[in-house]
Amino acid sequence: MDPLTLGIVALMGAAATIAGASEDIETDIGSESNPNSQVQLAPQMGHLHRFINKAVAGEPVAYGAWAGIAGTIAFVLLNLHIMPILAITVGAAVGTLILVVYTITSHMGRIVSQSQFQQPLFMDALLEALGPIAGHGFIALFCIVGLSTLIVMPINGTPLHIFPLPLLAVIWGITLGAIGSSTGDVHYGSESEYQHYPFGGGIPVANQGDITTKAELGAKNSIDVGNFCAKFGGPLTGICFGFLVFFSFWITVVFGLIGGLIAGLVIVLLLLFINERLENFARTKYGPYKE
Amino acid sequence: MDPITLLLLIMIGGILIGGGVHFIPVGGAPAAMATATGVGTGTAMLAAGAGLSGLVTAASMSGQPFYIIALGGAVGAMLMIALTMVTANLIYVFGAGIVPSSAKVEIDPITGRNQEKYVTPGTEGHGIPTVCFVSGLLGGLLGGAGGGLVYYAISEGFKGLNGFTPEIAGGLVAIVAVGIFFINSVIASYNIGGTIEGFHDPKFKRIGSGIISCGIASLVMGAFVYLLTIGVLPIGGVA
Repeated sequence: MDPLTLGIVALMGAAATIAGASEDIETDIGSESNPNSQVQLAPQMGHLHRFINKAVAGEPVAYGAWAGIAGTIAFVLLNLHIMPILAITVGAAVGTLILVVYTITSHMGRIVSQSQFQQPLFMDALLEALGPIAGHGFIALFCIVGLSTLIVMPINGTPLHIFPLPLLAVIWGITLGAIGSSTGDVHYGSESEYQHYPFGGGIPVANQGDITTKAELGAKNSIDVGNFCAKFGGPLTGICFGFLVFFSFWITVVFGLIGGLIAGLVIVLLLLFINERLENFARTKYGPYKE
Repeated sequence: MDPITLLLLIMIGGILIGGGVHFIPVGGAPAAMATATGVGTGTAMLAAGAGLSGLVTAASMSGQPFYIIALGGAVGAMLMIALTMVTANLIYVFGAGIVPSSAKVEIDPITGRNQEKYVTPGTEGHGIPTVCFVSGLLGGLLGGAGGGLVYYAISEGFKGLNGFTPEIAGGLVAIVAVGIFFINSVIASYNIGGTIEGFHDPKFKRIGSGIISCGIASLVMGAFVYLLTIGVLPIGGVA
């Protein structure tokens, strides 16, 4: 076990954690996640809103594309012997620029299609959300390309992986999108989007589309969603992706090839046990809905 | 690698990927609103996320026998799916105050716990109960192992070709493997037709037609991979 390699793996895990949290918050602000179906449905149910809705593509493919663009530019600049930090920054900045263009066009397209239900296009709501979307998107892309660069960087003459940088960025972008879409979205969809319903239950089909459109003061907007999800859903998404990246390499760095596979299986069994205890806790604490 | 072995490995890998997708509990968008049981995303997307994580782990085992590479893929995919399901359940339980429960079975066949009483009225269940979790792990195991096999077959097929540096060959192999993984997971997801809770879901019975379709599609793709390995060879054959 080489301490330097272990340190690099830990740094990759930290970068992945930040990437995960930023990705989830960015997609929650833009409603580019499963709960977008409710934002889309709301005007048809008579609930006009000020949310951003840029869900033209799912999170995994979208983040695969942004990270791929950012990774490719960073790869080209690195081959031109530009300083790595600058190459990653420029790559992430170009990826963010495309993300912002996509945000504007897809939001406008979606909202305009709802004009038949009297849903207005609020330009101020769009403009005020662009900054946070760009900011969180940049952080996520910087961290994905950064950790992919760490993977391909030769440590003691050998890189951690054989895949090229742009492909690793695409793969981690798709994986992060899948995780963000599966975990953080739940906090947005089942809680933030339906805050005017009592805490502690799923959303019945009959209530779908009746989303919370009012905040503490005035109309609820996408920044409020980001603020809400940053307190729980976003950080947990980050921890999930951070653990995935860290464990994927830590097991083989510490235990070797075969030992690493056994360690991976042990971690999976531990997660199964944790999940069973969690289910048991929820059943005991919350109880049944009907006897 | 001889063409028959190449085709067989890609076909078996494709069947494992297609079969594995049927095990993964996905509730789609309704699951994100705690209206349906399973992970709140699309079938193909979750399978691809898990499979690609497995592919990264499998590729880090390069140079090992095929079963080690397949096991590496399985471990990577299982890690991804297990971490995702635990994190999603943490949000269901602590972020929304919801008990993970299935609407497809009255009693969890693994824990023996009653499910019906814990389902919010008006919903199709919510969260990821133990039976779905175990099914998801099996899905990760099969999908990841299938992805690993496909990767092994293609990398062996491309081995020793003229005019390719290891970096270019590695990238090409990975791109083709990712493509085959995506095609199989999308075919399986069409066969499922929306959402599935896992092996206890009545839709799981469709797995037969799903794996046959994936086997045929993988065979065709295997033929393309073989043509590609011949096509990129300069006159004179293998170096």
